[in-house]
Amino acid sequence: MFFAGTIARGLAALLVLTGVAMAQNVTVVTPYLAQPGTQMYLEGFEAEAAGKGWNVNVIDTAGDVAAVISRIEDAVTQKVDAIVINVDPAQVAAGLEAAAAASIPVIGMDSGADPLVVTNVTSNGYAMAAETSVYVANRIEGKGRIVMFVFDAFPPVQIRGVIADAVFGNYPDIEVIDRITPDVQDGGIADSRAKMEALLAANPEKGSISAVWAAWDQPALGALQAIEDAGRADEGIVIVGIDANPQARDAIAAGGNFEASIAQDFIGIGKATADAVARAISGEEIRERVTYVPTVLVTKSNVNN
Amino acid sequence: MLRILRIYGTLIGFALIVVLFSVLLPGTFFTSGNLINISQQISMLAVVAFTMTIVMVMNDFDLSVGSMASLAGVTAAVLFSLGYPVYVGVGAALLVGLLGGVFNGVLVSLVGILPFVATLGTLTMFSGLAFLVSGGRTIFGRDIPSEFSGFARGGIPLDFIGLDGQKLPFLSLVALLVLAVVWFVLEQTTYGRRLYAIGGNKEAARLAGVRVKSLRLSAFALTGLGAAIAGLMYSSRVASANPTQGSGLMLDAIAAVFLGMTMSEEGEPRVLYTLVGVLILGVLDNGLTQLSVDSYIREIMVGAIVVSAVAFSSITKQSR
Repeated sequence: MFFAGTIARGLAALLVLTGVAMAQNVTVVTPYLAQPGTQMYLEGFEAEAAGKGWNVNVIDTAGDVAAVISRIEDAVTQKVDAIVINVDPAQVAAGLEAAAAASIPVIGMDSGADPLVVTNVTSNGYAMAAETSVYVANRIEGKGRIVMFVFDAFPPVQIRGVIADAVFGNYPDIEVIDRITPDVQDGGIADSRAKMEALLAANPEKGSISAVWAAWDQPALGALQAIEDAGRADEGIVIVGIDANPQARDAIAAGGNFEASIAQDFIGIGKATADAVARAISGEEIRERVTYVPTVLVTKSNVNN
Repeated sequence: MLRILRIYGTLIGFALIVVLFSVLLPGTFFTSGNLINISQQISMLAVVAFTMTIVMVMNDFDLSVGSMASLAGVTAAVLFSLGYPVYVGVGAALLVGLLGGVFNGVLVSLVGILPFVATLGTLTMFSGLAFLVSGGRTIFGRDIPSEFSGFARGGIPLDFIGLDGQKLPFLSLVALLVLAVVWFVLEQTTYGRRLYAIGGNKEAARLAGVRVKSLRLSAFALTGLGAAIAGLMYSSRVASANPTQGSGLMLDAIAAVFLGMTMSEEGEPRVLYTLVGVLILGVLDNGLTQLSVDSYIREIMVGAIVVSAVAFSSITKQSR
């Protein structure tokens, strides 16, 4: 009894703090709040939401996907104005159906597209691959031998490879000498390095490899290690990655072979998600099943910005 | 008065929580739809907690239930992805749960390792197996047959009792069935009485002719089976399986049993009291979410409630 009384007081205090007013209520449910990317989405989202005067309730289920469904159901019971998810919609379909039945819009924040999601706000994988592959083609003046690191088993990475294939295929003097799928069990760096070492051994003449195009940063970092350790860092082999993770940024800042990567605008995705929520709440029909937020090419010139 | 508080303190606390949420959340908390939701939300935890009660009756623990739930889920999902029918995947997953439980039982009762150490070891083993079987991936989408994922979305229509358009979810029904079976086994059979005897005094039970070793072994087998059932329920609910998805179940299940134990005069686990423990955890999650309480504050409150309930019960018992 004692503790129940304490809870009652605690809850009453919390209610006052959270301010249950007539403002719009938006619930964000994610199992991945601990991840840096998610934190940045939320930073952008909450900044926009504060400007719009919404009550935002962020729920972290700490990796528990079934709990995401439960919390979506609770938000539906609570009759919130909109729900934002940051989890694969296919895994929480039961919750999405409950929201749809109550006519509550669900917006995806880098979640994946789904018929039950109004729109999914994310980065354009096709565009990211186009930028880095064109960077390589321009850098080597449309001529040379290129190594590609791809991963076709994972759809978001597979689409990057498709675009790079098209760009390189459009240059008659560019030859893709190998299209490697590294083993990613160890994170992708070590095996990519081993594969690159083998390729360097098979192509010993200086200048026989012009560039390495990697569909994400880890293989690019592995290739960089292989090239540096083989003593071929001064051959002008251009390396590019995608994602611009901290390790890749360090390599780009160092000014070596790793010249460019692409950064997703996580905060921008959060802001655009808030905009999509506002449109959905106002009853606007959103035709874009996926909303793309522009990405930024990261090179030595802007890596420290 | 003190005696009433001692026995009913937790129940009164639970009732107060329900009343509090009903008042603070008029029209949304105490509705048939929300109560049905809660029954479905807690169903997986309930199954693990009910079967955890079986070993805790003997003062034992099973820390491996969460990773067993994950292992069972990915076992079924991998078999589905290889084209096996639903009953084969489900049967294999249940078998894995039973065998894993037997393995725990052998370590604890025949080899004589402390349950805490033995099941901590198997927790890691089962988790590693789950990663191995699934290749570390989440298995979802077309690999999961719709009959399997549809189970978690289906239910028995409740139109006949006046709740038009609502249904009693199959997941809640499974939890009720497990509750009935565990209640019957623990409370109505000599098998159950013997488990309580072991929990009271292992040596005395052995001297009185209770086959302590085989009983402990079988109890762990049942807990493993329960964990596998919960793992399948979880996979069905999220229409996918990954090698870590059950890991949150273990601590909550033990917490629920402890909450329930505060209601028993002898301080023994009783499965119906475990149900109250599960309900407290589930109702708090549901109500606090609806009240928009920050998820981290929610966690602190849930932990504090478990601690205060057990502390309260311990203090009142000392004052006897």
